[in-house]
Amino acid sequence: MENAFDIIVNLTAIAAVCLGTFFSMVAVLGYFRFPDVYTRLHTTGKVGVFGVVFLLVASAVKAEATWGYALVLIFFLIASSPATGHAIASAAYRLGIRPHNAVRNDLSDIASRDSGTHPAKFGTKPKKDS
Amino acid sequence: MQTLDAALNIVLYGSLVIHVLLMAVVAVRLWSGSHVIDRLMASDMLTNLALAVLVLGALIYHQNIFLDVALGLAALGFISVIAFARYLTDRRMF
Repeated sequence: MENAFDIIVNLTAIAAVCLGTFFSMVAVLGYFRFPDVYTRLHTTGKVGVFGVVFLLVASAVKAEATWGYALVLIFFLIASSPATGHAIASAAYRLGIRPHNAVRNDLSDIASRDSGTHPAKFGTKPKKDS
Repeated sequence: MQTLDAALNIVLYGSLVIHVLLMAVVAVRLWSGSHVIDRLMASDMLTNLALAVLVLGALIYHQNIFLDVALGLAALGFISVIAFARYLTDRRMF
């Protein structure tokens, strides 16, 4: 008679690894197929992170000694991916990339207000103050 | 039990091969990106895929040290993306 707990653990680990691999493949596919920086950020910021998160779930379920590391890494990834996404989107907007096929642009007044204070292109000198 | 362990090993090695191939594809995009933001996102995604490879290594070889390396790599990737985005807009990091 086999141990039912081991069977459940192995099946959960197999399912989580398959799901994480699928998410990583979808992330790279979307990164290559999407037309714009801001739409590509959906795949790199959410789907790519959840590929790693499901692999960490598999690690936490299968290897009992690593669940602490896995939980800390899951928390860190979910907490840090919105910050990186916001940093990349803000840098893209300030470097002059506009959304592809956008119907309306909510940030146009912010761009006109910031155009005097933020150097928007390469080669311009930084501000001296602050 | 034995068959499930063997199936898990096969799935782990297949996932490792797929992730290494995805890393190669994203590295090509990092080399020949169209814009600097594109390359920055490629490096972010390359960090995520390297994390996935490290977690798969921890699962395959039963070594906890891979997850320590993964934790350090996650922190370094987060800090590097934030600092590089700040440098691209303001031409200074701090």
